[in-house]
Amino acid sequence: MSTLVETRRVSLRDLRVRYSPTEPYVLDGVDLDLLAGETVALLGASGSGKSTLMKALTGFAPITSGEAQMAGYDLTRLRPKQLREVRSQIGQIFQQYNLIGRLSVLTNVLTGTLYNAGPVNVLGTFSAADRRRALELLDRVGIVHKADEQARTLSGGQQQRVAIARALMQSPRVILADEPVASLDPRMSHTVLSLLQSIAKDEGIPVLVSLHVLPLALAHSDRIVGLRHGSIVVQGNTSDLDADALAPVYDVHGDEEM
Amino acid sequence: MTQLLAPKPVDRPKLDEASRQRLERAFSVPRARFGAGLAIAVVLFVWSSMGAQFNFLELGEGASNMGEFLLRLFPPTWDKLGTIVDLLIETLQMAIVGTVLGAVLSLLFAFGAASNIAPRWVYYPFRWGMNIIRSLPDLVIALMFVSAVGLGPFAGILAMTVGSIGSIGKVFAEAMESVDRGPITAMEAVGASRRQIIQYGILPSAAPMLTSYTLLLFEGNVRGATILGLVGAGGIGLELTTAMNMYDYGHLSAMVICIIVLVTVIDQASAIIRRKIT
Ligand SMILES: Nc1ncnc2c1ncn2[C@@H]1O[C@H](COP(=O)(O)OP(=O)(O)OP(=O)(O)O)[C@@H](O)[C@H]1O
Ligand SMILES: [Mg+2]
Repeated sequence: MSTLVETRRVSLRDLRVRYSPTEPYVLDGVDLDLLAGETVALLGASGSGKSTLMKALTGFAPITSGEAQMAGYDLTRLRPKQLREVRSQIGQIFQQYNLIGRLSVLTNVLTGTLYNAGPVNVLGTFSAADRRRALELLDRVGIVHKADEQARTLSGGQQQRVAIARALMQSPRVILADEPVASLDPRMSHTVLSLLQSIAKDEGIPVLVSLHVLPLALAHSDRIVGLRHGSIVVQGNTSDLDADALAPVYDVHGDEEM
Repeated sequence: MTQLLAPKPVDRPKLDEASRQRLERAFSVPRARFGAGLAIAVVLFVWSSMGAQFNFLELGEGASNMGEFLLRLFPPTWDKLGTIVDLLIETLQMAIVGTVLGAVLSLLFAFGAASNIAPRWVYYPFRWGMNIIRSLPDLVIALMFVSAVGLGPFAGILAMTVGSIGSIGKVFAEAMESVDRGPITAMEAVGASRRQIIQYGILPSAAPMLTSYTLLLFEGNVRGATILGLVGAGGIGLELTTAMNMYDYGHLSAMVICIIVLVTVIDQASAIIRRKIT
């Protein structure tokens, strides 16, 4: 049990990331803990480094220095061969859903198991047990009736829920969602975010969600982390925070680019 | 809160005066370029037509000869229809086999020549290989295979197969390069292997284009297969030249009519299928 909790958390100490040695740090000393079962909203103006943080946690951006414990792995001491293994343990959700448009909704969900799919998968086959589970997950996100349709025929909100089912299919130890509702209408935004929050609770895993809309963060998170110029400037329980407390994130005096 | 997020008053970046003037009279720029292009084209054309002995007077005479030739083509004689049909079937079969083999090989080559799949050290050799094949005319390739495996349709099929790599391998590679980055990222994110990324992230999105290009290749191969016989590589081409040399114009025109029918039917059918899948 204790190892389970160990693997279902993220712990960052003085994390620094820059894309090239000649450029300034995009993440400049981030200390952050994400605990099992909690939903953490990540706020920050455009360019503050939200996406970079998500990418650094999944090996899509280089970690320059600092410590990063992610889902039971030490990201700074990862052997190149382990990268796929780590990624298979992390559910990622994207702003543009990133589904395979011409494949069925069911197959899209099944791709969540690709890391563990045996060599027979060359033929594009998945086991009956996997298929049953994929259908259950589609039921859980409320679109099992679309299972056989091409993913590209679904609305944005439906596609994002398929993407969530795909992430769940990984049995992830952590879920990272980078602006998952930025292309959705307000109602669908609430649906998707409360779905993510309930997944964090039910699965007992941390969920990190970056958002641009303050009220959505206040309504659908347990904790809020505010990023500015690559550093955390506000951090606290959602119930203790309001718009004024989060003001430093958005920098009234303004030196962000237009 | 609204005040919080309100844009600050700023000096908006300015466009420098020279650029502004250039952009405001933007139309003069293409016109200058167009004029230069036209002048170069005219010079090139005159130079080439002198070199290639192109002559409008001879064109006139040629047209009347052509008219005579066309008159002699009529009426077509259908007594050797059986031979024509057999040869056309052979031509079609060559095109089918050549297209299938060519498409499969092109796909394999395309994996090597797609920059989002292949590493640099694979990518460049594959691209060069394709460019070299592309630069060889089909009949030259056919001649090489005729001397390698002897006269007959087998040489023609090999020529078409290899020619296909040059003609559509590159287009296949570009179809794969042009697929959406999103699904690829998603497949990388679930820990998929390279093979799985190609299988799920690239091929489904590229499939309609790949099929469409394969049909275009088939159309081209049917037309191409009718002349491979000129160098003894099978198909109806040999019978065509023989009829021409023996002044058997009725037979010749019957063959030409049959080829026109076959090619038209295949082009139309293929066009309909292509329209359906994209
Ligand atoms: N691949 C990259 N190479 C170089 N610089 C990058 C790269 N990706 C991001 N950056 C830079 O890092 C900074 C932070 O970008 P990032 O995408 O993390 O911001 P963000 O908070 O996600 O912004 P947004 O809200 O607009 O998505 C920006 O200045 C950006 O230009
Ligand atoms: Mg971003």
